[in-house]
Amino acid sequence: MVAALVAAYTVLAGRTIGFDLSTFWQVWSNPLWEKFWPIPWDWVLDRHNVLDPLVETFQIAIVSTLLGCGLALPVAFAMSPLTSPNRVVLVVTRSIMNVVRAVPDLFWAKLLVTAVGIGAFAGSWALSVFSLAVMVKLFSETVDGADPRPLEAARAAGGRHVPVVRTGVLPTVLPEYVAYGLYVFELNIRASVVLGLVGAGGIGRVVEAQRQYFRFDRVLGVLVLVFVVVFVIEQVSVAVRKRLV
Amino acid sequence: MIEFRDVSVTYRGGVRALRHVDLTIDDGEFVVVVGLSGAGKSTLLRALNGLIPATGGSITVGGTEVVGAGIAELRDVRSRIGMIFQTFNLVHRTSVVNNVLMGRLAGVPAWRSTLGLWPADDREAAMEALERVGIVEKAYVRASNLSGGQQQRVGIARALAQEPSVMLADEPVAALDPVTSRQVMGDLQRINRDLGITTLVNLHYLDLALEFGRRLVGLRDGEVVFDGDIDEVTDETFRDIYGRAITDDDLKVAEG
Repeated sequence: MVAALVAAYTVLAGRTIGFDLSTFWQVWSNPLWEKFWPIPWDWVLDRHNVLDPLVETFQIAIVSTLLGCGLALPVAFAMSPLTSPNRVVLVVTRSIMNVVRAVPDLFWAKLLVTAVGIGAFAGSWALSVFSLAVMVKLFSETVDGADPRPLEAARAAGGRHVPVVRTGVLPTVLPEYVAYGLYVFELNIRASVVLGLVGAGGIGRVVEAQRQYFRFDRVLGVLVLVFVVVFVIEQVSVAVRKRLV
Repeated sequence: MIEFRDVSVTYRGGVRALRHVDLTIDDGEFVVVVGLSGAGKSTLLRALNGLIPATGGSITVGGTEVVGAGIAELRDVRSRIGMIFQTFNLVHRTSVVNNVLMGRLAGVPAWRSTLGLWPADDREAAMEALERVGIVEKAYVRASNLSGGQQQRVGIARALAQEPSVMLADEPVAALDPVTSRQVMGDLQRINRDLGITTLVNLHYLDLALEFGRRLVGLRDGEVVFDGDIDEVTDETFRDIYGRAITDDDLKVAEG
């Protein structure tokens, strides 16, 4: 019954926004597809054209992950009733994080490009904010669920707040922290490519440039290469994460 | 010297965990606290080091007032009071020695303990504490790989590493088998005797209390109903504490 209602509404909504399945056929039989083939491997595998920008994309992802996740550690601790030094810090950090998370990351990218200009720098900043938001969301739940008993023991020994959290809770949550960090890195690699499309540097900019020249064969070549690299990184990340947690 | 003067602890919600408790404990004493669950044993110990704030009265440890103390004063008092817990309260994912080092937190600068750069003297103190409880060979073993009795020993080592003048044990053997329980109680007794550390132990089971205790404090509904020598204890005493005559079930089956 519910399924029927959902299906009916989907069709109605589709009609309203002009969604038309017949356009799929039009796309499929478009002669433009011939322009995607053959892939010019000599151009694709040339260092300057593709590999250097790919490295830049990779670097953007690494820097953003380290910055965003690095900041996320103290923020997550400040946000959790278990590890927060006092109520004021707790409420203030939570409020700030709510604002940060409400803003979509593509907006951060555009905002930063306007502020600091096109390039890898803007891209890194945007992704750092994104990384911070995602990491805090994931990691906060781990911190909230941590065993409070060693914390009690550390406090009973007369420790100050930061050392108490560092010795009493950090070892327990560190594996999850690293695992989430790797996951965020995976996300950042892909996001970095996308941000490149709006001018934030790296391989995305190459794709966008070639698209504008209508060199779709080069576009496909780049995308294939990106797919391979991202796939390899993700496999490694999954394997490492499995061994951590 | 530890002094409780008219101490009351009332939790939010109205539960009166301690009621007008008066207690004086001299340096070096070995005191066993018994009572039913909910009688206030845990609250008594935790009020002493401020983990639970007392809502009335005064508690002094070595001349320092705990009730209403500022955070820095509280840390200072706590550094002199070692505590061990029923569930050991260790960090499972790290080594034994890292757990024991937590006992040195009060004396080490915050930046050093946060970065894990413990001074050599403190590492030495941690190893000595482990030797005293007889498990120094397990120093670099992951805490979760130890048996319950061994974990409690790590807990004791952690407390000893503080070089405390007072030792609080909140039902230290409740999660252990009878043989290990007697070993741990023996350790506590030995530490009290050899190092002169004032010791307060919460116990559930009476046979251990009778065997290892020298002074007994009985709590019932947050009030002290008995405070005296182990030798003065009679059936009447237990009726006051537990509200009924003791049975064989109250005495744990002791092996060995």
